[in-house]
Amino acid sequence: MYGGGNVFETMKATALADEDPVKLAEFEARIDRGEKIEPTDWMPQLYRKQLIRMIEQHAHSEIIGALPEGTWITRAPGFKRKLALMAKVQDEVGHGQLLYSAAETLGKSREQMIQDLISGKSKYSNIFNYPAFTWADSCFISWLVDAGAIVNQVANSKGSYGPYCRALERICAEESFHLKYGHHCVIHLATGTKKQREMMQAAVNRWWAPMMHFFGPSDKISVHSEILMRWKVKMASNDECRQQFLDMYVPKIWELGLTIPDEKLKKNQETGQWEFTEPDWEEFKRVINGDGPCNKERLAVRRIAEERGRWVRQALLAPKSKYVTPLA
Amino acid sequence: MLKSLDPRVNRLNLPEQFEAPMASIEALDQFETYQAFVQLKEGKPFEHAGIVHAPNEEMAFLFAKEQYTRRGMICNALCVVKTESIMVSEITDNGQDVYDSFSGSFSEDDSASFEIFHLLKRGKQHKYIGNVKAKDFEDALLASKQLYPRTKPVYNVWVVRSEDILMSEPEDADLWNTLKEKQYREAIAYKAADKIKAFKEEQA
Ligand SMILES: [Fe+2]
Ligand SMILES: [Fe+2]
Ligand SMILES: [Fe+2]
Repeated sequence: MYGGGNVFETMKATALADEDPVKLAEFEARIDRGEKIEPTDWMPQLYRKQLIRMIEQHAHSEIIGALPEGTWITRAPGFKRKLALMAKVQDEVGHGQLLYSAAETLGKSREQMIQDLISGKSKYSNIFNYPAFTWADSCFISWLVDAGAIVNQVANSKGSYGPYCRALERICAEESFHLKYGHHCVIHLATGTKKQREMMQAAVNRWWAPMMHFFGPSDKISVHSEILMRWKVKMASNDECRQQFLDMYVPKIWELGLTIPDEKLKKNQETGQWEFTEPDWEEFKRVINGDGPCNKERLAVRRIAEERGRWVRQALLAPKSKYVTPLA
Repeated sequence: MLKSLDPRVNRLNLPEQFEAPMASIEALDQFETYQAFVQLKEGKPFEHAGIVHAPNEEMAFLFAKEQYTRRGMICNALCVVKTESIMVSEITDNGQDVYDSFSGSFSEDDSASFEIFHLLKRGKQHKYIGNVKAKDFEDALLASKQLYPRTKPVYNVWVVRSEDILMSEPEDADLWNTLKEKQYREAIAYKAADKIKAFKEEQA
């Protein structure tokens, strides 16, 4: 959930009926006291399941998210940009590793998660199903997609599951580099030649709709789950994250002389809320379900890496080695 | 053939559609897991940094170095332990010291050496406390209870045989000396306020 708009499982009202009421009360009391849950603690099945799903989606998003930016490493303008982008992409893959490990403490192995990604069973952030046409697209991703991710990640780092919070703290520290680097790249283009400005503007125009989708459907239409909020699995609503993003970044985009392709976009001074054209949620659904411009390519690239790398992993695997669920 | 904007992807000659789903393998090729601990500065205690997957201890060390110490901090030393080799105590909460639940006497036999890590706050990292000599894991816990008096409750204890730890050598400390040359990995290398200011003035 490097984006918002996590796909949570629909929950049955009876989901909690089988849980031990005493243990459940202790578990909830611990969360209410502000104490984190650690992997060896008792936890309701539903908590475990939803957390695995959320952290796994987040991990996949890091790995898949490295693809559109990775495309531009060899073609980034100049040596410095190449170095920086390479470092950023390495960070993103590292975030994937941290997150797979955090999810793994809940009992699902990393290899199983990777299998589920490739088979299409698990989702990842929808925004990475769009292509990076030019270098300016890559700059947009580095600055603004990461900015959106940071809004989410900072919120989630205050959640209740210890290993996820620790992973997110590390991740957020690295994100500050991504954000500054991305901003630097965009400033360079936006304050550059006419051609550079046009390139940057075209990228903003292409990415604005996916960016609005990034935080997920409006709370009005998305399945709102009180219990996930109470258990501090979900820390902020999709709309809250989107509003926070707009508040922090629209002025920064405008100050560079760039425009945003939404005539209705403005801050309502009375309510303090941003108003905008309702994003096309049908398009969002269509793309998340596989019919976006790059879904096929993203999964094919992952699959081929997995298939072609398999012999290496097999060769390295010591026959006596035993897989043990990591601790924390 | 799958057409991509990415020339590297085109060179992979991927099919437009795979004929069959990826072959699933019976046993997943899942590597062993290791726990990595990092010492940020000389004299500071080692702290749990996280997990790595690796086919052996040395690769685990290498991955841990890349994953947990590649930047942003001055690292002084690093060690890795196979997850399997860590004895984990029960976990407590709400001010309850986990050591309260172990009592009894322990043997005089101090032939083995153990390293002790404490969790002092839920949600935080396990921290290195010290070494104890004992016969086995259970005795090591009791010995640690006696040897390291606590002012704050400990919620969880990890005990590891000293011989199961792969630790960097003191002369390895220069592994982390290159960090200064990697300023481009830091946010601070990307200052641009002047450029924005100049741009705004020009527009005005
Ligand atoms: Fe990331
Ligand atoms: Fe990113
Ligand atoms: Fe990032």
